[in-house]
Formats: sequence, structure tokens, C-alpha cells
Amino acid sequence: MDVMTSAVPAGGDRAIRFTGNWREYLPIAATNALLIICTLGIYRFWASARQRRYLWSRTHFIDDQLEWTGTGREMFFGFLIVIAVLAPFFLFFQFLLPALLARGKTDAAFTIFLLFYCALVYLGGFARFRALRYRLSRTWWHGIRGGSDNPGWRYGAEYFGRVFVAAITLWIAWPWMAVELWNSRWNAMSFGPLQFRAKLDADGLGWLWALVYLVPIAAMIALFVLSAVLGFTLSGSVGRATFGLIFFGMILLVYLAIPLMTLNWYAAYFRHAADATALGDREFGFDATTWDWLKLFLGNLGLATVTLGFGITYWGYRNWSFMVRHLHVYGNVDVADLTQSTTFAPREAEGFADAFDVGAI
Amino acid sequence: MIEGRLYDGVTAHSHAIRASADGTVLELSNDSGWTERIEGSLLKRMDSTGAELRLGRTDSPGWRLVLPTEAEPELAGLLGRRERYGRWIDRIGLIPALVVGGIVTASVVGIGYVAPAWIAPHVPLSWERNVGGAMVGDFGSLRCRDAGGQQALEALVERVAPGATRGPDAIQVAALDVHAFNAAALPGGYIVVFKPAITETSGDALAGVIAHEVAHVRRRHVTEALIRELGIGALIRLFAGDIGANAEQLVALSYTRANEAQADADAIRMLRRANISPRPIAALFRRLNKESPAFSAEFLQSHPLTGKRAANFEAAFDPHARYMPALAPAQWDALFDICRNHDKQT
Repeated sequence: MDVMTSAVPAGGDRAIRFTGNWREYLPIAATNALLIICTLGIYRFWASARQRRYLWSRTHFIDDQLEWTGTGREMFFGFLIVIAVLAPFFLFFQFLLPALLARGKTDAAFTIFLLFYCALVYLGGFARFRALRYRLSRTWWHGIRGGSDNPGWRYGAEYFGRVFVAAITLWIAWPWMAVELWNSRWNAMSFGPLQFRAKLDADGLGWLWALVYLVPIAAMIALFVLSAVLGFTLSGSVGRATFGLIFFGMILLVYLAIPLMTLNWYAAYFRHAADATALGDREFGFDATTWDWLKLFLGNLGLATVTLGFGITYWGYRNWSFMVRHLHVYGNVDVADLTQSTTFAPREAEGFADAFDVGAI
Repeated sequence: MIEGRLYDGVTAHSHAIRASADGTVLELSNDSGWTERIEGSLLKRMDSTGAELRLGRTDSPGWRLVLPTEAEPELAGLLGRRERYGRWIDRIGLIPALVVGGIVTASVVGIGYVAPAWIAPHVPLSWERNVGGAMVGDFGSLRCRDAGGQQALEALVERVAPGATRGPDAIQVAALDVHAFNAAALPGGYIVVFKPAITETSGDALAGVIAHEVAHVRRRHVTEALIRELGIGALIRLFAGDIGANAEQLVALSYTRANEAQADADAIRMLRRANISPRPIAALFRRLNKESPAFSAEFLQSHPLTGKRAANFEAAFDPHARYMPALAPAQWDALFDICRNHDKQT
């Protein structure tokens, strides 16, 4: 048989590219939006399957496209299963909690609330793991898929423990939590016979996280000093309204500093994480800067605003193409080594992640 | 003969092959003399959006045959219809699906909008009492249990709505030691008044508040809200997520406003019949409106504009009427102190 032994990207070309364009996607976005509205939202599972089929098919890796084989039907049933699991939680928060509070049984209410809250945090971590596992198991390239044999129960426990530690340090320990969880998650995943290897550490991420705390504080101090000085020098010359306006603008800056510094941290986190992750001999890289992320988010918001909400249907498209355009894969793929995955293909799809509204990566 | 490539699903090798259709069978071959015949019924289209024709096999998960789209006419006899929107939509077609779905959605939303108001009056009060009892019990340690105060509170209900605290459908009224200015009607004919609504008002203003809540109970507004929340509300939240919840809230809001206006109108009638001046409650609304913007902002969301409410009550004032105080001074003193012994009891 005629066999190509190794897939090598043509000289200088990027190994992974996004080849879609917004005009081609428009019929999908428009019909998805219409069908979601006309089915009381039930179509959204089929809509996201169609969206992914398109996005994956327009993602070219070396010499062939990716392929998404997840179906709306399986996501719908996964959702129903998860709703059944979460029903007791819903009933608790809707009925039992108010009933206990109305009877003045605050201690009992608080205890059960705490227990349920812990269970929800656990399930949140579990959900993220299962979503990643599901997505890999439905992603094919050259007739080979990814997946994991790890059911994720232990990951849920690890997630709970690490979130707990991060929480009691007032989230100061967040970067250490995030990197360990990234490693645990990705080290459990594979594509074909190749295991993902993640060795992310918090070097260089710790001080960027400190900025999330320090910059707003510094801005606050500057604000106080500035307003004292301004108040002293300008008190006679400008009206109170002008002064109030300046003060309001400066407070706004302090508030903007927190999300901006957080975004700055996440941008660095994704760059570090990609660098520290490998699949067999393939290495990854990610080059989106804080400014790139900001443009993505502001673009999403602007698009939704000028299109009176219709632009929301393009968020998934924009986010995916953003990830692909900034992702780099280095090293060749030896197609002879890449044999079929033997991992279990999960059935419940992304029900949990869907219910908890968490992303997969 | 069509040139294409084949992934066998075992390794990631790409095999160059030629394909042709022979009746209901797909024939594959390559240069080295290998051939394979595959029943058309085993083949499935893998991608409806790609620039190439990608075929899979139902009996071999990773098997992929990739052919140029020009091959489609030649293989048309072998392949099923292309899946576009999902099988259940494709079966009836996009436009019919949108029309049928649109009608069903509109009716579900429409029924969800009006049905609670139709159903509510027919729900037996005993059922509602069970739900209400399960939800609130007897308020445990939150409740202020001073006997004299409770008597005065019930007397106030009787004053605005004679007979309301007696019989099988009796309204049960309770004062709660909760530090917020509010009062509410709950499922099962319960009316609760929070402590500041007693200690920071007058007997006449409180009479107006209680009349308003009695109207909610009698009009079955609480039952209606319960049905709406459990029925269409839960459904929409489940499937349509946040956007659905927002839309549902808007719908619920417009409904609540109508109910609030109706309860106000009833309260005005009750005050007139009981010969209690509507001015103190009008003044109370004006005060709440001015006093704390945060409170009124929250209040405004579910209640008709507070200013307009005040004006409605004010307009009901009759300068020729000889209004009587809602409670005798001794009764009002007892009510004022209803939470007096509360801390000692708990």
C-alpha cells in the first residue's frame, strides 16, 4: 500500500491553522439562533454540535482537518442525566433552605448549606475534567481520537482540596492551585497512544498574581495622595462637581485595575501552560498577549452591541479561532506511531460542565 | 474512478486509494492490487460542512474515506441524505420546523404567562396550606410571641378585613424579628410583618400595609406566583439558561406589577370600608421613596412606582369622612411591643 510515513508541515507553515471565515459560518449561526428560539432552547445542544463540527473542520493540523463527532443527541441526554443528579441540590436551595431559615433553624440551614456547597465545588471540578475528556474523545484527526481512561472522581477530590487551600489563603495561593490542577488534568489525557505530559510550575506566575492585589492597592494610595493634593491646591479654583468627577474617574480606574490584572495573569498562565505541555514529542506554544485577550473580549462585547445581540452567536467562533490562531505545535507527527486510542468513550457528554457553566481547557 | 485517501482507523497512515460505485457497493482499490468492497448501508457521511466528502463506517469508528466533493453525484446512490440541522429537524425540514417550533414555543410561553392566574383560584386552599406549612412552619425562633401584641395584630387584620382570621380559610398573621422594613403574603394564607414595619410606622399606616397583603392572599396572587415559579419558570431556566431566566423575569415582573396595583386598589377599598384614613400609608410610601434609594430601587422592580402608589392612596382621601384610628391606643402599645420579650424566649 502507498503509505505516507510522516506528516510534516510544509516549510515555514504553521502546523495548526484556522481556515474558516465568518461569511461561511453565517448560515450556521443564523439557523442555530432561530432554532434555539423556536424550541424553547432545547436545540442548543444540536446547535453547539453543529458549531463544533464547523469549527473543528476548519481547523487544519499539518495535512488534514480535525473532525468533531459529538452529537446534539448525546449532549441532550447528558444534560438530562446531570439534571437528575442536581435535582436534590435544586430542591434544597429552593425549598429546604428557606424552610429551615423560616423556622429560625439557622445552624441546621448553615450546616446543610455548607455540605451542599462542598458537594457542588467537588462536582464543579469533576465537570471540568469530564468536559475535557469528552471533547478529546470526540476529536479525530487522521481517523484517530483522544480521550482518557481516568473517570475523574479523584480529580474532583483534588480540585476540592486545592480550592479549599486557595480559599483559606484569600486566593493568594491561586496560581499554585491552578498549575497543579492543569498538570493533573492534562496528564490524565491522551491522543491515540500518546500521553499528554504537563509540567507546569508557578515560576513567574506568582508575582503576576501578586499584581492583582498590589496594583489596586497602589492605585488606591495614589488616589488618596492625589485627591489630598488636588483638594488642597484646587479647592478654591474648581467647583465641587468637577472635583467629584475627577474623584469618580480615579475610583473607576482602581476598579478596572482588578479585572485587567487578572486578565494579565490569565494571559501569562495560558502561555506558560502551553509551553509546559507536550503530546509525545510534540511541544505546544501559545502566544496571545494580555492585549490580544482584551481585544477578543472587547470585540465580543462590541459585536454583540452593534448587532443588537445577534453577535453573541459568533462568540464561540471568535473564541475558538482565537485559540487556534495563537496556538503553536512544534515537532513532527510520526503517523506510524499514532495508533487508535483504546480509551473509553464517555456517554454523558458535557452535561456536568454544561450545568456548571465551566470551560473545558 | 475517483482518487481519494483512506484512514483505516488503526493507525494515522493516509492511504492513497481509488473509489468507484458498483450498485449499492463501494469498491476501493490501490496501485498494489489491494481491493475492498463495502456495502453502502455501512457508510455514513461524517461532515456536512467540509470542503471534502468524508465518509465513515458504522462498524469501524476511525475509518475515514476522504474524497473530493465532485465525487458526490457518482456516489449519490450509495449515500444517505446529508445531515444538516440534526435528524429530528431534517425530517420535517428547516422552515416547517421553525414554523411548528415557533407556534409551540409561543403557546407554551403564552400558557405559562396566563395559566397561573387561571389555575390559582382553583387550587384548594388546604393544598396551599400544606405547601405553606412545609415552607415556613410556625417561623420558629424568628417569631415574636407576645400574647397581647399578637391579639392586637389579629385585631388589626379583623379591622381591615372583618372575619379574615376566623374559619377554615383563616389568614394567619405573624410578626417576625427580622430587621428589614417589609411585609409579605406567603403561600397558605400567611401574612408576615417584619419588626421595623411595626415600630417605625403608625397603626393606620400598618393597617394599609396589612390590607394590601390580605388582598394578595384573597386574590390568590401568592398561589399564582408559586405556580409560575414551579411551572414555566423552572422549564425556561432549565433549557434556555440565563437569557431565558431574564426573559422570564421580565414576564413575571409585568405580571407582578399588575397584581400589586390590584392589591393596592383592594387595600384602598378595605380602608374606606373600615373608615381608616389612607393618608398615613400614602405618607409611608413617600417616606420610603425618599429615605433609601437602595430600598426603593429594589421595591420599584416588583411594585408599581412608589410615587404613583402614594398618589393613589392620597387620592382616596375623603376630606368629609370621619376617619377612626385603626387601633385603640392600648392595642397599638401592645402591638408596638410585640417583639419585646423575643430575645428572652430564644
